[in-house]
Amino acid sequence: MEQFVGQIMPYFTVAIFLGGVTWRLWRWMIPRIMHNITLSPFPGTWTAAVTWWVWQIAIFWNILKFDRALWIGAFPFHAALIAIIAGHAMGIYTLGLQFHMIAPLLVSADLSVWLSDLLGTTMGLVFLVAVLYLLYRRFTVEKVRAISSTSDFLHLFLLLTIAGLGNYMRLVPDAHTTYLEARTFMAGLFTFNPVALPQNAFFMWHFFFVQCLMIIFPFSKLMHVFGFFWMRWMVNRPFKEWAPGMPGAKVQVTK
Amino acid sequence: MSTETAKGLRQPKRANEKLFRTLGIEPVPDEKKVEEAIRHLDDFRNKLRSFVVTMENCVKCGLCADNCHTYLGTKDPNNIPAGRADLIRKAYKRYFTPQGKLFGPLVGAEELTLETLEKWYSYFYQCSECRRCSHTCPFGLDTAEITMVGRQILFWLGIGPQLHTATAGAILKTGNHMGLTKAGIIDTLEFLAEEIEEDRNGLKVEFPTDKPDSDILYIPSSVDFMLNPNTLKGAGMFFKWVGANWTMSSRITEAGNFGYLMDQTRIQREMVTRLYEECTTLGIKKIVWGECGHGWRAAKMYVASYSDLPGVAKIPMTHIHDEVAALIESGQLDLDPTRNSQKITLHDPCNYVRACGLCDQMRVIMRAVTSDFVEMTPNRERNFCCGGGSGVLFDDPAMYEYRILASNKKAEQVRETEAEVLCAPCSICKAQLYPMVKEHKLPVEVVGLIDLVGHALVFPEE
Repeated sequence: MEQFVGQIMPYFTVAIFLGGVTWRLWRWMIPRIMHNITLSPFPGTWTAAVTWWVWQIAIFWNILKFDRALWIGAFPFHAALIAIIAGHAMGIYTLGLQFHMIAPLLVSADLSVWLSDLLGTTMGLVFLVAVLYLLYRRFTVEKVRAISSTSDFLHLFLLLTIAGLGNYMRLVPDAHTTYLEARTFMAGLFTFNPVALPQNAFFMWHFFFVQCLMIIFPFSKLMHVFGFFWMRWMVNRPFKEWAPGMPGAKVQVTK
Repeated sequence: MSTETAKGLRQPKRANEKLFRTLGIEPVPDEKKVEEAIRHLDDFRNKLRSFVVTMENCVKCGLCADNCHTYLGTKDPNNIPAGRADLIRKAYKRYFTPQGKLFGPLVGAEELTLETLEKWYSYFYQCSECRRCSHTCPFGLDTAEITMVGRQILFWLGIGPQLHTATAGAILKTGNHMGLTKAGIIDTLEFLAEEIEEDRNGLKVEFPTDKPDSDILYIPSSVDFMLNPNTLKGAGMFFKWVGANWTMSSRITEAGNFGYLMDQTRIQREMVTRLYEECTTLGIKKIVWGECGHGWRAAKMYVASYSDLPGVAKIPMTHIHDEVAALIESGQLDLDPTRNSQKITLHDPCNYVRACGLCDQMRVIMRAVTSDFVEMTPNRERNFCCGGGSGVLFDDPAMYEYRILASNKKAEQVRETEAEVLCAPCSICKAQLYPMVKEHKLPVEVVGLIDLVGHALVFPEE
């Protein structure tokens, strides 16, 4: 089992993930933007349009404005998720020294490792609480439950499992895996010389469930990561207005 | 034809097969409807990107629910925009996605049935295509696009409301929704000119029809001729005041476009074709649009993609509010706001503020022609639909009752302002709000915006 999950499955996982995402994005590019369905007020320029998209992503502006009860779950959820993914990539690759490498004069190596640990633990817990809140919301808020199918709940349970295992590894010393162990293992995969998984059942299951998430990603609503841009490209864009003023009229617009 | 089916669905009165045949549609027999619908869905997923992206990216967050007037009024989960889209999405997943084919109901994928098509007919004609869902959705997913796809497929199957289908017939015959003939148009305009002469100290306003060598083609809402004469009078007075060389056309006396609301191929195109034929015939240099919400959207944003005639993008097209506001801002109009002194609030027609960028102009005009203007809350692009958008103006009992529920949120907003007058610068909004203010026992008068302009214009002759 360990050999399959740690040395064989990852290659299928990445192939399905990358191939699947490419395939779905290609399917989204085949149909055309047939008509101008932009939303107003129109941004004045493309810079303004892109700024609007970035603003929406940065603080989940629409959710903040139009459903605050959702925002207090959705925003921490996503902010923590980004932090966790970035933290995994940078922390494992640099063995916790990412902050020292970004700002060597301000942050010592030891401080960087300490910060990496602290942020990892905190974000992991924030994420877990956010998932629980969203799960609770989906079960108890009528309007959300009414539009949910079983998979909407299953996604949250999968995330709960992944985050639960991750947090357990962080908080329970016996279940811990070091940056170095993780990096050695990942390096093996990236160099197509897979090595054995770290000797930690929690790590293996964490790694397994993350792969499940990657496999289902292209075939689920998780594609909204890309969908955001595909949709906003259509509905938030500048529009060039015709100038007012009526030719031949005795009274004209003078400004 | 009963308007509530055995399953308790609220549906508008259906057009009969004969009416569809006059539009060139052979209604599809029941046993073939589902497979035809699936075929059309397959077509749409290969042609229309907004459809595919909206189908595949809804995360079911539920934010759209309390931001849609239909859900707020009916508390029906199929009126939650995500739920409404699901009426198609479930079939989309089942037939067009690997997860839907493999896992069915687990991922929210379901076979399409006749029963679902009946729900389409019910819920896609409760949606008003107001796009408040798109405005509020974290991704901007547009349920109005889904409603349009649903209505289009139903039309091709031979299912549609009597109101929309009969109006499509009127469009093909006369180029307007009310079936006005040229004689009727000229008659009404003469009568309106007489009324102005009486009311305004002998002021003589001409309403030209089919006048060649005109610079401006004004496109009024045909229903102005019957229900909103003050809007038409206001426009005529405005054009006289600025000394425009203008005309209307008896072949396209329609600012609206019910084709846009049911058949976005043949019928929508008919209006666009007539528009450009008339511009060529009459030598028009600019088109100025009258007070109609969906019609302005269909014109401003769709004419370029719908015209089969060359040179279409070269004829500039603005809304009469754009013109009035520009003249007010450059200080060229002589207006007396005290003539409209009652406390007045403004309903933002959805298509103006969420689709056409026509928002501030209305405020510029309001402030210049009235002396006691209050905004309702929320306003501008966050405002709620009147409940009648996209022609949800049905008179049969079940749907009339629905219109009252759908306008609950609007009534609440108006009541809060304590205004005496409600300005709704769109023909469908007017048609919805005239009866709805009575149903909600609101002591307000409903008027258009250009009505107020006409009233406030100070003519030297007066």
